[in-house]
Amino acid sequence: MSFGYMGKILLVDLGSGELKERSVPDEVYEKYLSGMGLAARLLYDMIPAGADPLGPDNVLGFVSGLLTGTGSLFTGRWMVTGKSPLTGTWGDANCGGFFSPAIKRCGYDGIFFKGIGKSPVYLYANGIKAELRDASHLWGKDTVEAEQSLIAEASPTAHVALIGPAGERLSLISGVSTDRGRMAARSGLGAVMGSKRLKAVVLDGKKRIRVHDPGAMRTLTKKCNGSVPPSIPISGGMNAMMGILLRVLPTAMAMDGRLVLSMYRKWGTTALNQMSIEWGDSPIKNWAGDNEDFGLGRSAQVNPDEIRKREKIKYHCYSCPLGCGGICTMEGKYRETHKPEYESVLALGGLCLNEDARSIFYLNELLNRAGMDTISAGATAAFAIECYENGILTREDTGGLELAWGNTGAMVALIEKMVAREGIGDVLADGSKIAAARIGRGAERYLVHAGGQEPAMHDGRSDPGYAVHYSVEPTPGRHTLGSWVYYEMWQLWKTVKGLPKPALFYFKGSKYKADGEKARIAAVNSKFMNVVNGSGMCMFGSFLGAGRIPTFAWLNAATGWNRTPAEYLEIGERIQTLKQAFNVKHGIEPLALRLSARALGLPPQPKGANKGRTVDIEKLTRQYWMEFGWDPETGKPTGECMSKWGLESR
Amino acid sequence: MPYRITENCNGCGACKRTCPAGAISGERKTVHAVDDDACIECGACGRVCPRGSVLDRNHDVCVMVKRSEWPRPDVSLKSCTACGICVEACPVGCLVMAETPRKGGVDAWPYLKDEKACIGCGFCGEECPAEAIVMRKPEKEEKTAA
Repeated sequence: MSFGYMGKILLVDLGSGELKERSVPDEVYEKYLSGMGLAARLLYDMIPAGADPLGPDNVLGFVSGLLTGTGSLFTGRWMVTGKSPLTGTWGDANCGGFFSPAIKRCGYDGIFFKGIGKSPVYLYANGIKAELRDASHLWGKDTVEAEQSLIAEASPTAHVALIGPAGERLSLISGVSTDRGRMAARSGLGAVMGSKRLKAVVLDGKKRIRVHDPGAMRTLTKKCNGSVPPSIPISGGMNAMMGILLRVLPTAMAMDGRLVLSMYRKWGTTALNQMSIEWGDSPIKNWAGDNEDFGLGRSAQVNPDEIRKREKIKYHCYSCPLGCGGICTMEGKYRETHKPEYESVLALGGLCLNEDARSIFYLNELLNRAGMDTISAGATAAFAIECYENGILTREDTGGLELAWGNTGAMVALIEKMVAREGIGDVLADGSKIAAARIGRGAERYLVHAGGQEPAMHDGRSDPGYAVHYSVEPTPGRHTLGSWVYYEMWQLWKTVKGLPKPALFYFKGSKYKADGEKARIAAVNSKFMNVVNGSGMCMFGSFLGAGRIPTFAWLNAATGWNRTPAEYLEIGERIQTLKQAFNVKHGIEPLALRLSARALGLPPQPKGANKGRTVDIEKLTRQYWMEFGWDPETGKPTGECMSKWGLESR
Repeated sequence: MPYRITENCNGCGACKRTCPAGAISGERKTVHAVDDDACIECGACGRVCPRGSVLDRNHDVCVMVKRSEWPRPDVSLKSCTACGICVEACPVGCLVMAETPRKGGVDAWPYLKDEKACIGCGFCGEECPAEAIVMRKPEKEEKTAA
């Protein structure tokens, strides 16, 4: 009997309509955990080299996590995985809601789709049966409408993951939605689902998830629950002032994640809205601007207290005692939306110099319903605006839109066109890199991307860790894999012997020195996040710090294993090498995934919070790859490294 | 270990109708059977069987209990963190999150929306990480039923 994991997957061939259950040997979980690790293990073998990401050979996987449903906390995350049509690399996207336990309640750790359906279908599974059903009547419906229809067809207790019109129209910046607009947004995997004519996955299982030691799980969870902080007792204005302090002080303090979580408890990620702009964490004006271009006056409408006024109720994902989400009311075409995340607010706000909060709420709901990534949509709009401002796009090209910085109406109309794939919108609907190639005329000068993926709203010129992870990861442009501040919050040195412990206070200048310890920290970040993503754990929950959130002890109690934290990080290292090997197998040159020069501080900014800063990406990249035993020149895992992890024959 | 139905079963179908996992099969007036893989051990079949034909996970004979006496979840909002584990654990969907915030707060709160649908399995309380749910026999209803 398996504990923690279900030991089984469902394989669906959409071409033939065949559904098969397959047992997964314990050894696979022991080496790769579940969740993303399991998906990486399976897809490395299942997707043939050079497969067209939108063709029948790509395999799309929906995976839960090893700790999901085990009595642990912050473990309600699921992932969608496959070869990314946006970057050509290993692709994944992470999401909360209630879909992760729903996968396990059907008796599976993952559900994998290959082939292409003749007509639109959805998968229905309830733990007793699994079948493909006609989805023709849902094709074209937005994610909220279609989800409501599917729940009405199936059962009020069913949980759904689905695409909207953006995925159906194969937008390479489309994602997968659940629970009325929560998005697994990145890597463009909505287009893979669309290419397979798979509208939705509807799950209504009731199976129980067994753990090895329920008593130990309960004890660990009770202690963790007690360490979740209350809301921070300060105003949104004071929060913004903290950002100014962080900018002007020459010293910094190692961040304790409890402080961040107390802010998230109060405001969600919108806590960062003004604070991050002020301290230089938020990219402004397509990464060419700075905090002075979008000061407190211009960002006033997205002050977290202003956002909170619209929040009618908090939203908690499964097993989350914090509740950073919320349901907000709004005026106009849509009445409600999930509280816009910091990423969405900045991509649709400061990055385009758009100061109008109402438009951000509207676009948030429009994009969630379309199933399009808010980060990439906002970043692509910012790129188009800069092209327009520099005469590369004309009014004729834009269909009459005056795409000037801060022109809210034009920006909203542009994104509506992207969703509908109309005119200039069709040029931009596949993200900025492809748009630059379509536009030509030197448009690539204004591109900010990593391997085709628009980076998230955290600036590596403020925390170089972001720039490193955007550039060196097998999944480029991702902000949820590591940074220097994440390392401070994870406090892994408390449970893993020998890891570097940051000083409590330090001069900020030390953050920008590309010494060997930084690359080591980045490598630990990647390894740890592979454990987190194999467990179905929320990255925010992990910010509680290793002394408070018992990730490794939960894994042992759930499975009956007796591993040390260092051994779990070794699993993370194996998964990282496997994902990099996936990229190499598919012809990716790891060096080509490097973040655009502008975002690395090449040339450095002449003013603002990040004035004069450049990330020494050459040195950090080499050192990071050496930490994994990969070739420091090419980033490809060496034969010796592949042998070490038992991957040489694959 | 899943529940089992013995040869004593008269095929009345009460267990099949009550099972929230669809784990019981059998024609009317024939001995029914539990699908081992599908059984979630909620015990509802045992509580409705009029002939004592269901054995629990310890092979003990289940005793029929009047539906009005089945225990129901009593949620203490003082301890509840709104994590949603109880709602997700409920196999019949009778426990749901409110769509309005709890009194004096901003979080949602779980409540028994459909009391009649509750099968008294106790999964909600068993899985609650905050020990905020206690299963209690509904006293008032008991009197009414009596």
